[in-house]
Amino acid sequence: MKTKSLKEKIITWSRVKSPWILHFNSGGCNGCDIEVVDALTPRYDLERFGIQLKPTPRHADVMVVSGPVTRQQIKRIKRIYDQMAEPKFVVAVGACACSGGVFDGCYCVAPGGLDKVVPVSAYIPGCPVRPEAVIDGVVKLLGSLQK
Amino acid sequence: MAIENVLLALFYVLIFPGIWFLATYGMTLEWVDRKLGAVLQNRVGPPWFQPMADFVKLVSKEVIIPKACDTLMFRNLPYFAVAGVTAAMMMIPVWNGALFSFEGDLIAVIYLLTIPTATFFLAGWSSTSPYAAIGSMRVLTQLFAYEVPLMLALIGPAILAGSWNITAIAEHFARNPAYMPAQIPGFLVAVLALQGKLERLPFDMPHAKTEIVGGQFTEYTGRLLAFFNMAVSMEMVVGAALLNAVFLGGGLGLTGIGAFALFMLKTFGVVLLLVVLRVLMARIRIEQMVNFCWQILAPLAMAQIVFDIFLRIKLG
Ligand code: SF4
Repeated sequence: MKTKSLKEKIITWSRVKSPWILHFNSGGCNGCDIEVVDALTPRYDLERFGIQLKPTPRHADVMVVSGPVTRQQIKRIKRIYDQMAEPKFVVAVGACACSGGVFDGCYCVAPGGLDKVVPVSAYIPGCPVRPEAVIDGVVKLLGSLQK
Repeated sequence: MAIENVLLALFYVLIFPGIWFLATYGMTLEWVDRKLGAVLQNRVGPPWFQPMADFVKLVSKEVIIPKACDTLMFRNLPYFAVAGVTAAMMMIPVWNGALFSFEGDLIAVIYLLTIPTATFFLAGWSSTSPYAAIGSMRVLTQLFAYEVPLMLALIGPAILAGSWNITAIAEHFARNPAYMPAQIPGFLVAVLALQGKLERLPFDMPHAKTEIVGGQFTEYTGRLLAFFNMAVSMEMVVGAALLNAVFLGGGLGLTGIGAFALFMLKTFGVVLLLVVLRVLMARIRIEQMVNFCWQILAPLAMAQIVFDIFLRIKLG
């Protein structure tokens, strides 16, 4: 493995310590959304990992997507993905975003889940996901950056 | 001689009390702000290096400049914001008087502190996104609301001291500490107006994320956003230092390390007040803010001025 220079190490460290997330519902039943919001409450306190919820894709590093991708949303989700600045990651939250879940094969849903539309870095299963699982998934994604 | 002067000036601008000092202290205060807010909300809060990590991360990110933008303005405005704040700091006493002290520097500081706000407005305007445009209109509306009470509140101590010089005002209070409690209403007005200037919670309509996405910074990414965030943190330091000098007597006649420690302590105290205000209150509407500033804060500051004039005539 190539050894990293000090500058690269510092930059990676800063990325791991300060992921700003953007929450996007691509057509879910709202179960996963509530759980993502739950993870941001004082009880779980995501800010201790430096995670902040950002309102605009321009500021965000990680896009957290919940729900199956409906046909209406394909165009929009691609556009929002393009609006984010590099380096960017996408986390699929919930069974629907991972694979289509119970909505897979539905007439209005893009077949096969989120990764057929935009590149996905981490999958967090569950219907709905638990807040602990969301935190664990994001932390593991960031841990993989250091390797 | 000339070389030495240039080096000294560079030291003042870049190290102390210029950009380096402002940036480090600003980041510390930003952390204190977030951590205390978290503790007051029963959370753990971010670790001490959080503002630094945010800054490095943003600087190392890609910079996107939308096609519709006014590129020249969009690119350069963050640096103007930082420069305006740093210039204001040069005129505020940190320990033994300010670097550049002249009659009327209070007015100059107030004007220089308006520059960041003006850049926020232009930033939103030049990015041409509807959310940013609404945000920048709110920045201006808010400016007209809090600027007058802030100015009136700062005039009170100036009248009492008989000088428009910040250092002279601080010295006056250091000589007559008994005048300080009489300035409490003016101080409270100034703290609330400062909260508006820093666009913090009861007055954060310009970048209210639940209403207008990111407000004036909606289109900003990477390095440019990092410098805007930095300018806001620095403005907090300068605002706290200004209140410290004008209302709390600056170094209180101490010199050297003692005065510096006192400066730290009192700016910390002002920031503490700002944090408590932020945590206690929810966002109000823009027109409520204008009403509040013009109907409550401005008359209160006026009353303070009248009282100060009376005090000055009575006590000579
Ligand atoms: S995974 Fe379950 S809870 Fe989440 S959006 Fe799909 S159906 Fe709803």
